[in-house]
Amino acid sequence: MSAQKTAKEARYRELKLSMEVFFSNKSAVAGLIIFLFYFFDAIILQFFPQVMPFKHPYSLTPNYVNPIPLPPSKKFPFGTTYPGVNLLTAIIKSIRLDFWLSLAVVVPGAFLGVIIGIVATYFGGLVDEVLMRITDIVFSIPYLVLAIAIGYVLGRTLNSMMIALILVWWPLYARYARSITLEVKEITFIEAARAAGSSKMKIMFRHILPNSLPPVFVQMSLDLGTIMLAISALAFIGFLPAANLPELGYLTSLGYNYVETAPWAMIIPGMFIVLFALAVNLMGDGFRDVIDPRRRSAL
Amino acid sequence: MLLFIPTLIGLTVIVFTLLHIGGTTKLLAMYLSPRLTGAARAHVIAELDAKFHLNQPVYVQYFYWLIQILEGNWGITNTPLYSGPVTQAIEIFFPNTLILTIFAAIIIWLVSIPLGVHTAVNRDKPSDNTIRVASLTFYAMPWYLIGVVLIIIFAVYFRVLPIAGTVNPSLVSGLPWYHNGISYPTHILLIDALLHGDFGVAWNAFLHLIMPSVTLSLGVMAALIRLMRGTMLETMDQDFVNFARAKGVPEKVVINLHAKNNALLPVVTNFGYLVAGLLGGVVVIEDVFSYPGIGMWLTSAMLNNDMGGIMGGTLLFGLILVTTSLFLDILYAKIDPRIRY
Repeated sequence: MSAQKTAKEARYRELKLSMEVFFSNKSAVAGLIIFLFYFFDAIILQFFPQVMPFKHPYSLTPNYVNPIPLPPSKKFPFGTTYPGVNLLTAIIKSIRLDFWLSLAVVVPGAFLGVIIGIVATYFGGLVDEVLMRITDIVFSIPYLVLAIAIGYVLGRTLNSMMIALILVWWPLYARYARSITLEVKEITFIEAARAAGSSKMKIMFRHILPNSLPPVFVQMSLDLGTIMLAISALAFIGFLPAANLPELGYLTSLGYNYVETAPWAMIIPGMFIVLFALAVNLMGDGFRDVIDPRRRSAL
Repeated sequence: MLLFIPTLIGLTVIVFTLLHIGGTTKLLAMYLSPRLTGAARAHVIAELDAKFHLNQPVYVQYFYWLIQILEGNWGITNTPLYSGPVTQAIEIFFPNTLILTIFAAIIIWLVSIPLGVHTAVNRDKPSDNTIRVASLTFYAMPWYLIGVVLIIIFAVYFRVLPIAGTVNPSLVSGLPWYHNGISYPTHILLIDALLHGDFGVAWNAFLHLIMPSVTLSLGVMAALIRLMRGTMLETMDQDFVNFARAKGVPEKVVINLHAKNNALLPVVTNFGYLVAGLLGGVVVIEDVFSYPGIGMWLTSAMLNNDMGGIMGGTLLFGLILVTTSLFLDILYAKIDPRIRY
């Protein structure tokens, strides 16, 4: 009873220490707050679109009567972009798609990569060699180019963009999980588990996997930003043929022909991409501090 | 170094698989000229059928396809930018991309190494923090946005640099060594103009190169500054640096000779990633600046569902990266005596 209680208390203390480490990093907290704004925007528009005053929450609403971009004013706080799209509402709508899309790439990509990375180290030898060569080969093509090629084969849609980016992204996590697994494998408690007679499978998934997950989570939070940059770059060069799709990269490309007369039409949607990428980077740095034993003991 | 061959084979297997996922029609689309109709078209299809042995199993077809690729038969591209054999398109567009990436790589090398060293030496001082914030911001910026910001500042507001293209068309009209946007003999306008002694055109071509290459370098630089700072901080903590200091070597020499050269080693290994970043960035940036290189050709191939352009570009970029990493491995073994293959 008391042993359980102390274990609970110890866990609580650990959690408190983690929070303290994270909240002592001011820029990480700022990143978290910005991230939460994007997160709630995505949640509200995805699950409760009726609370927002939008007639069409999942598409841009062009106004062909007045298609030329207008500068920011009282009626349009961020101005408008071609063809008469109100940038404020367009950005609110776009954040939903970008957020879920980057999550839908990072989570399966990381899952696939971590499983493959751990399997590679688990079997070792030839399997390891072959899987790592495959990651090498995928790395040997720039990811935007490979995504374009996969997109051509699957047809250029939102789903195939997601699949293309997952296919491009898993090798990164496979490599990362492999390097962490190799590191964790050498720690004494693994040896103890082996001495106690645990099976190789149990050691892999019961002991090594949970211990290699925290760094992977940090990497995932950093990658949310990178993926959003990749998505917006693909949308900018015209990967998604669908018009009126609320996507930040596409929104930015709408203003491209007016860059000389209406710079806000590109700068403002672009700023929201930068803000998100910056926020998840700062947040990821904060998470890295949390799992860093040196930072923990310093407090 | 032995890994070079399997990676190369894997690369061709990937491209071949992508070609075959949609069935043989995709492969035919890559080699069939879209202008052919009727009997001529049927004849060429039959010819291709015989050439690629399309009635054989897929793994047999792979080898026949590989032979064609090795013989330089990369298919046909049909985009508004260029229509004709893929190899010819590469010959026209690649030199432009090459000069762009070389310019960008030079800028990156000249700026990021000193900045990385500077931030490490002045750790946590205002200049370090400023550079770190700036590089993080560039790191978090989409490539095209960097380009657009530069366009707005230098081309729209100050009007000192041209917005797009490779040269002012009025300067090159009627020149004997320039036809249809292609300069001869090297296809790199800047070098061709210098070869022909036309310094006005050369200067104009140089001006057109500044913004794309600066954009390209700003996107990649942040990661390199970060890496250089990290390795430099690590090296500065090591015993041999302290020993050099204790020996009475001036701090400047310690930093620039002892620490910097050792901190550069991991940076050189990561140079491959830098090249990958450059080639990826080229796709977007050439599009923003309407710069006729491989990236713009690839984008226009994507927009026009042109198989030959997409697969040709993919194969080319893959080949460049694989060869670069091979050269880097050799270079790394040369500069680091601890590594022997």
